[in-house]
Amino acid sequence: MRYLMAIVFLVVSIGVNAVGEKFFNQVIIANVVSAITNTELLIDSINQANSTSAKMQFGNLVSSWKKVETTYLLGDLNEDYLDTPRYIDIFHNNNEDIKSQLDLIINSDDALSSAMYKHSHKTINALEYILFTKNLPHQRVKNMALMITKSIKSYLSEILNGYKAHQSKFFESEQYASAILLNTLVGGTYKLKEWRVGDVAGLSKKFKNRPNNHRAEYAISGNSMNAIKAILATQAQVINSPDYQDFGDIARQFKASKEINQAISALNDSIVNASSMSEFDFINNKGKRLYQSTNRLMKSYYISLMDRLGFVSKVLDADGD
Amino acid sequence: MEINPFEYLMNPHKRIYWIFLLSSLVVAFVFLKCHPKQKRIILSKKLWLHPSNLLDYGYFIFFIFFKVMVILPILMSAKEVALFVNITLLDQYGFVRIESFSYIQIMALFTLSVFILSDFTRYWLHRLLHFVPWLWEFHKVHHSAKVLNPLTFYRVHPVESLLFGLRYSLSIGLVAGVFIFLFGSLVGIYDILGVNLFAFMFSLLGSNLRHSHIKLGFGNIVERFLISPLQHQIHHSKNHVNTNFGGFLSTWDYLFGTLTLSKNTTNIKFGLEKMQMKNFQNLYGLLFSPFIAIYNQIKDKNFMLYFVTMCKLQRLKREQQ
Ligand SMILES: [Zn+2]
Repeated sequence: MRYLMAIVFLVVSIGVNAVGEKFFNQVIIANVVSAITNTELLIDSINQANSTSAKMQFGNLVSSWKKVETTYLLGDLNEDYLDTPRYIDIFHNNNEDIKSQLDLIINSDDALSSAMYKHSHKTINALEYILFTKNLPHQRVKNMALMITKSIKSYLSEILNGYKAHQSKFFESEQYASAILLNTLVGGTYKLKEWRVGDVAGLSKKFKNRPNNHRAEYAISGNSMNAIKAILATQAQVINSPDYQDFGDIARQFKASKEINQAISALNDSIVNASSMSEFDFINNKGKRLYQSTNRLMKSYYISLMDRLGFVSKVLDADGD
Repeated sequence: MEINPFEYLMNPHKRIYWIFLLSSLVVAFVFLKCHPKQKRIILSKKLWLHPSNLLDYGYFIFFIFFKVMVILPILMSAKEVALFVNITLLDQYGFVRIESFSYIQIMALFTLSVFILSDFTRYWLHRLLHFVPWLWEFHKVHHSAKVLNPLTFYRVHPVESLLFGLRYSLSIGLVAGVFIFLFGSLVGIYDILGVNLFAFMFSLLGSNLRHSHIKLGFGNIVERFLISPLQHQIHHSKNHVNTNFGGFLSTWDYLFGTLTLSKNTTNIKFGLEKMQMKNFQNLYGLLFSPFIAIYNQIKDKNFMLYFVTMCKLQRLKREQQ
């Protein structure tokens, strides 16, 4: 009887195309498209040397880029794209001090095309430094900001084209699609909890009892909470959306309601905790609460992940002899 | 949880799953075609209605109830172990994701690792059951079978059953935890009906003949890799009881010097020494005689200790006088 039900579920879920096209287009693709739009708006503001508007557009770009990053699974569809996000964002991916390098570039006379030869010089992190600590109307600063934003835009376009070119692999196997999606969520949640919150709040292993707001991802521009909220909102798009068949619905079909409901509850708690936080709240109780709820979220993802390995949650025959 | 003896026939995770019984039956049929002389014993009423076999049938019914009501509730699942291992590794080493293996490679590696580690720990637990005196008291229950039938597999003391369950949770949980730490949700298993591919295939190879009187050996070469039914029957023989501890693979017996090949092994007599056999004649004996034996061992030891101490005290007194 159980097998029969499993087969019925399988047929039903294939019938409605599981975590399928609708999700892919409405979340993954739509988020990349809006990030590209944000880069275009930012380019306009930079061209006008309008510092206020550029700073605002930068905040929007942070938010839309984090959305792309949160569901980034293109590297699993085609390994040529594994490293693409690192050309846009070097948070925790690079130890070098790009600030002093960027200062040197600003103060030198070398052509920008050769001076900014490193990938790290053209990332969102470099852009933040330029836009928020330098004088935008300054021609060289403006050119650098333009160069970086255009580079980000071109990588985002590459991502968009990559998704379109390799989307069939996502639709082909539901098992694989949900596996890579879950992997992205798990990895993203670890980084959220440990790097984006824990390191700042002094709750991570690395910075135990040494809270410091300057460690926040976008400490210079004050966009760190903005980024975190975008990440959490995107996770809600994946596991708790009323608009299309999402990952949560699939889990429920396979009788993992309890596990996915736990994840949703932890996610909702995190969203509530984050919504009341400002950039300076990492180091107080609010930061601690966010750390705890994102930690719960991570664990519940891991539990869902293990439930996919049916035999792991089963106690088998006492196979003695 | 439902208690249903037929569940054991319908569940591919069970030794007596109908397909495994059927495959064993087919193998037995072919074997008897080639060795018609053995037909008389195998088909005799005397064998199948032997008191030892009757006890096995009855004990099996008891075992089903006892397992569901007592053993399963107190056993931790492999999932809990896996979660613990994974979180511990995360805390220790931070987030790791190996991206150089394909989905297929990860699945193959995991399937093989689970099978090998599981078989390895099964060998060692079985060996400990023979060599640790108080464990042997419990394992004697299984070896007290004078004749063998597939249900003899379940003639196992609840304490042994608990140990094998624990072994399963720990070893599967460990592999799953490490793999999930390294590969996330790309970890999966190649299975047939939810059972590890290797375990399923080897179970098809007449696993139910291990406890039977079908003297099927695999020949000197294969028996160094795979335990044949006859090799396990040899393990049940009084004069070879401390050899052939293996489950599926005989590699462990070969490596650790406990292998006995089936060729040239004669004089196979199942059961224990006559003096001990009388303790295992009924359900009560199977369940309680191990405890009584262990109690007596401790008592004897304590008595000896008491005796020696008293002698020493006496001598001390005498010396003081
Ligand atoms: Zn044994």
